[in-house]
Amino acid sequence: MIFAVLIPLIFAIFVPMLSKIKHKIHTGIFVFFIPFSIFLYFIRFVGNDFSPVRHEYSWIPSLGINFDFYLDGLSLLFVLLISGIGSLVVLYSVYYLHVSERLGSFYVYLLMFMTAMLGVVLSDNLFVLYTFWELTSISSFLLIGYWHWRERSRYGAQKSMLITVFGGLSMLGGFVLLTVVTGTTSIQAIISQIDVILESNYLPLIMGLILLGAFTKSAQFPFHIWLPDAMEAPTPVSAYLHSATMVKAGIYLVARFSPVFATYEWFFIVVSIVGIVTLCWASYMAVRQTDLKGILAFSTISQLGMIMAMLGFGTKVAVFAAMFHILNHATFKGSLFMVAGIIDHETGTRDIRRLGGLLTIMPITATLALFGTFSMAGIPLPFLNGFYSKELFFDSTLHLNEVINPVANVLIPIIPYLAVFGSIFTFVYSMYFFFGVFTGPKQFDKLKIKPHEAPIGMLISPIILVLGVILIGLFPNMVNGTFLIHAAEAVNSAVEYKKVYFWHGFVPELYMSLAVVGIGTVLYITRKKWSNVYHVLPGKMSFNKLYDALVKNVDIVSAKITNTYMTGSLKLYMTIILAAIVVVTFIVMFVTNGFQMEYSNLAEVTFIEVAVVAIIIIAALATIFTTSKLGAILITGVVGYGVATLFVIYRAPDLALTQLVIETVSVALFLLCFYHLPKLQKRKESTRSKVQNGIISIGFGALMTMIAISAHSTDWFDPISDYFLETAYKLGGGHNVVNVILVDMRGLDTLFEIAVLGIAALAIFSLIKLRNNKEAE
Amino acid sequence: MEILIAILAGVLMTTGVYNLLQKQILRIVIGTVLLSHGAHLFILTMGKLKRGQPPILMDGIENYADPLPQALILTSIVISFGITSLLLVLAYRTARENNTDNMEKLRGTENE
Amino acid sequence: MSNLAVLPIIIPLIAGIIVALFNSRVTITRTLTKLLSIVSLGVVSYVTLVVFTKGSIVLETGGWVAPYGIALVADPLAAILVLTTNIVAVACAFYAPYSLSLRQEQHYFYAFYFFLISGVSGAFLTGDLFNLFVFFEVLLMASYALIVLGGEKIQLRESIKYVLINLFSSILFVTAVAFIYGAVGTVNMAQIAERVQDVEQGGILTTVAILLFFVFATKAALFPLYYWMPNSYIVPNPVVSALFAALLTKVGIYSILRVFSLIFIHDTNLTHQFFIWVAGLSMIFGVIGALSTNNIKLIIAYNIIPAIGFIIMGIGVFNQDALSGSIYYLIHDMIIKTVLFLIVSVIAYVAGTSDLRKMGGLIHYYPLLGWLLFISAFVLAGIPPFSGFIGKFLLLKGALTNSEVAIVIITLLSSLLILYSVMKIFIRGFWGEKDESGKYEKKSIKGFIGPIVLLLAFSVFLGVGAEFIYPSIESISAYLLDPQLYIDSVLKE
Repeated sequence: MIFAVLIPLIFAIFVPMLSKIKHKIHTGIFVFFIPFSIFLYFIRFVGNDFSPVRHEYSWIPSLGINFDFYLDGLSLLFVLLISGIGSLVVLYSVYYLHVSERLGSFYVYLLMFMTAMLGVVLSDNLFVLYTFWELTSISSFLLIGYWHWRERSRYGAQKSMLITVFGGLSMLGGFVLLTVVTGTTSIQAIISQIDVILESNYLPLIMGLILLGAFTKSAQFPFHIWLPDAMEAPTPVSAYLHSATMVKAGIYLVARFSPVFATYEWFFIVVSIVGIVTLCWASYMAVRQTDLKGILAFSTISQLGMIMAMLGFGTKVAVFAAMFHILNHATFKGSLFMVAGIIDHETGTRDIRRLGGLLTIMPITATLALFGTFSMAGIPLPFLNGFYSKELFFDSTLHLNEVINPVANVLIPIIPYLAVFGSIFTFVYSMYFFFGVFTGPKQFDKLKIKPHEAPIGMLISPIILVLGVILIGLFPNMVNGTFLIHAAEAVNSAVEYKKVYFWHGFVPELYMSLAVVGIGTVLYITRKKWSNVYHVLPGKMSFNKLYDALVKNVDIVSAKITNTYMTGSLKLYMTIILAAIVVVTFIVMFVTNGFQMEYSNLAEVTFIEVAVVAIIIIAALATIFTTSKLGAILITGVVGYGVATLFVIYRAPDLALTQLVIETVSVALFLLCFYHLPKLQKRKESTRSKVQNGIISIGFGALMTMIAISAHSTDWFDPISDYFLETAYKLGGGHNVVNVILVDMRGLDTLFEIAVLGIAALAIFSLIKLRNNKEAE
Repeated sequence: MEILIAILAGVLMTTGVYNLLQKQILRIVIGTVLLSHGAHLFILTMGKLKRGQPPILMDGIENYADPLPQALILTSIVISFGITSLLLVLAYRTARENNTDNMEKLRGTENE
Repeated sequence: MSNLAVLPIIIPLIAGIIVALFNSRVTITRTLTKLLSIVSLGVVSYVTLVVFTKGSIVLETGGWVAPYGIALVADPLAAILVLTTNIVAVACAFYAPYSLSLRQEQHYFYAFYFFLISGVSGAFLTGDLFNLFVFFEVLLMASYALIVLGGEKIQLRESIKYVLINLFSSILFVTAVAFIYGAVGTVNMAQIAERVQDVEQGGILTTVAILLFFVFATKAALFPLYYWMPNSYIVPNPVVSALFAALLTKVGIYSILRVFSLIFIHDTNLTHQFFIWVAGLSMIFGVIGALSTNNIKLIIAYNIIPAIGFIIMGIGVFNQDALSGSIYYLIHDMIIKTVLFLIVSVIAYVAGTSDLRKMGGLIHYYPLLGWLLFISAFVLAGIPPFSGFIGKFLLLKGALTNSEVAIVIITLLSSLLILYSVMKIFIRGFWGEKDESGKYEKKSIKGFIGPIVLLLAFSVFLGVGAEFIYPSIESISAYLLDPQLYIDSVLKE
């Protein structure tokens, strides 16, 4: 099975080569055989006696991340959609994309997506699923940005990536949490531990994070905004990724995890509400669109909302209806996208305001659109599959009493009304799509090209899909019994197979359907009269504006924030760094009771020492107040010599000597370097700045002194130096212990100390030489 | 005495930091020099002051000052010297090249 | 046998001296550098192999037993970091001749380059706190020389800030070492660990620990101490920026990892919890920085900060998964930051500007470069199956095991924004209309691409081939969680 998943990716490597001969043979023709053979491979699993298949391949077993593929009914439904629609889309693209396009890139991205999508629906391993999940986002990003020289394409690509990757990362968080709670990375193993999860405190978080992933991917309200902009992709891509497959990955995810969360009351509440709101909002918005693909995009969103809502209900009928509608939606929406592509291709526009009266010119296309739109609208005709699943949807909204859930009780009575509301608008935009394009006044003068019927090649794929619409409509139980039931069982094991009939008496759901058709027709005819309602809702609000403002402000605000402290001012940097060090360290010292002072065991104080200390202190303070350049340097020298004197007093002759030599050289260097620089100025500094500097400096000095006193006051261990005194002569052969330590015991320090000096010398040399070179140039 | 030296080192660090927070390069460099002095005195203090003779082994003497801090200070002094020299040359070159010795004028946010 | 531990330090040191001697003959120094860096990589690979098969190598320099002499400790953590350092170094050695001007090469670039490697390796390998200070100075001194190489106005300007802030933190370092000596009477890390354990990190020790943390955090560019970093990392030659990004901040974070997994582990409620806060703030402010600019080099420089944040988060969480995650992420980030710096430098070179607003449509001319950037962006953001994911996955798992939910959410959000900040370069710089004005006439970038591709391939392997690497990392984190192993291997009691 791993081969079936990876073969598109492997084949993608050869595509650039094949695209070299695209002028002879369209690259798509080669590519077609890939999804088609995958379809043939998986179709043989369909049957009444289907039972899940599991194949395991190890990848990173020590992290529990493995290619464990698990094919159950749910996966099978998706796999067949991916490979089946995939084949048709590739076929369609052969006629849609001209050979002058970058076919190589197109098919590489498309094949990449195929692998990714197959991987998502077949992986039993959480993190492999996540890997493929992000790969679908990436390939979708590339496909939306296929015509990247268009501003809108770049915008749409970036938007879809930001939103779907956001969801993906959140889902990752949920997955990791699931793994931590259950100790396994296998979805099936997780499902078998429902109790552990339901008892976990993390349950709301896990569910929330995973649902965020699903909602963003499946364009649920309010994350739906990326999908309309994704329509910038070439139409075959829209038909494939953004209608039939990728956007259903979120649906898949919710379905997959339904067994885990179904008994958790918030699952019902969140998923149902989000689904229903999406259904209503998007179908309402679809009516307002003028771009054919825009209508279809909002229509897709609303249909996804409907499926999502049914998964949220989680009842037997609802789950079965959801599976049924996934299939039906793929057929009619796929064909409608292709129709939209044909119209665009043959008339040069997708703007419905400029189209009309195409019925006579494009009769085949019109017929296809007729079936597609009417099925979408759920018109009660026995040869339209959309009607069946919509009626099951109504049925499920009416039978939510089997959900035993006190919180949900408030919602349950409202849901059927919302369902009808959403469906009415579905009906309206379906009619709008069909009649707006194919009937009405002809206005060909507004078109760039003279419209004509599409070539037969382009029509094959939508014809096959429409045949699917009709066949499923006529013989719904053919697909239901053989494989949809298995898909439904994977989501809710209680689902039983029940035959679906076109006519089942005067039941409430029939009245609901009739109401939809009735009110829908009225609204469609009068739509010009009530279109002002859009000025009220959404009016000027929109989530798109929110997104745009967010993205724009992220840049602006972060620039503002950053520029407040990244000013390039060393003083500011040092102030912040010092303040952080002083404050945090003081707090830590206080919290841990670190400060201590021990008066015993101190050396006695003599007058001469006090005098030297006093001189150093005066000199050090003088460096702050002096305004003479020379003075400042010399006073610094005084400090250095003072320290050398202290070294003498404290029995460190070597140090004293070194210090003297180095201090002398340093002062000389100082004088040499600063001879040419401007004088020290009288500081024009505000008092505030002085006080601030003073506080920080004193704070830092005091902190250091306090730590020093505390460290010195500890009396835990003897220093290791006795060893040096004992062995300096015996093992080191020297009387001067400090020297022995330097050259022998800690010889490595000294070696690299010399290295530091060497590098410094080289650096200084190159700094000076650089200048000479420059001046020579 | 140790406490006195610790306070002295603290004062050196205080003045060092104060100078570090100034604008003129020369003052800043002087600040780092003062900081190094402070650090060295801290190391010295940590080895207990004035216990015994200088650590040069001689017959008949039992008590010596702790030699390890002295060795560490020596290494540190030499390294500080190296850095200070580089810093001086760098400061000089920077000031010449940019025609100012005011660090506040050397902000440079134009490359953002 | 134990002498092996010093080779990763000594070979670059000698190599540096040799190339300094041949300085005026550029062709010879170039060849020598490539050759010697490969030799060094070979030796280091062997040392790593020995460490992983036969256990840590402890070298008591000069034959003075630990804790009295300086001990070099090639334990698995040090070994794997030295190995990564050398891999990065080889790539940079091959990239350098294309990127540097002749003048820069003649100003001892190659010598400083080797000294830098020597200092970095020393810092990883030493088992002595004061010696760590010395190696810090070696690598800093080399970095001072490298950052100023070229002597441009803005370079000088940023260099002096860089030197001053690092000098300050070095002084603080040596002071903190003094305090530790005052409190526990030793500078050998293993013995410090043992003694700190004996007194249960009482009294002033936690305070000193925090002081030491600030020292390392300054080098590591953690919040709120990173201000020196972004601007000073973009002024030197690209190959220098790449080396800095890969190595300097990582030495800082390594030191934190070492000190706070070996020595100061007895008050984790205070210290390590503090790290998690620092981690969160570093991620947030680092990402904000990366989003704030249109300078492509600066975008990458800012991205160093959240990466360090991820690593410190693992140290803060301090369990097996989190530590494994930190180590994995550390290795991953050393590689990918080099790659990204090298890539954006090439972009700046071909576009003639670092300003994102002034470029567009580069993919028509440089498709390979574009796709390399594209992949790198996903590697950086931790999208599977690339290397960043493995580290991030372990970090998340570790953090959630300890119920650190808030930091996990920050991590995930910053991952998104990191991806966005780098993809911006792809979307705005590479996508777009073909520029026909001849602004981007085809420049040869062949020489640049080789090292980038190799490093990126290695990075991809780190992710895809995680099964080959993760067990070693896991053993390292298990080792770190039992400090007694380190103490015993050094003190042999």
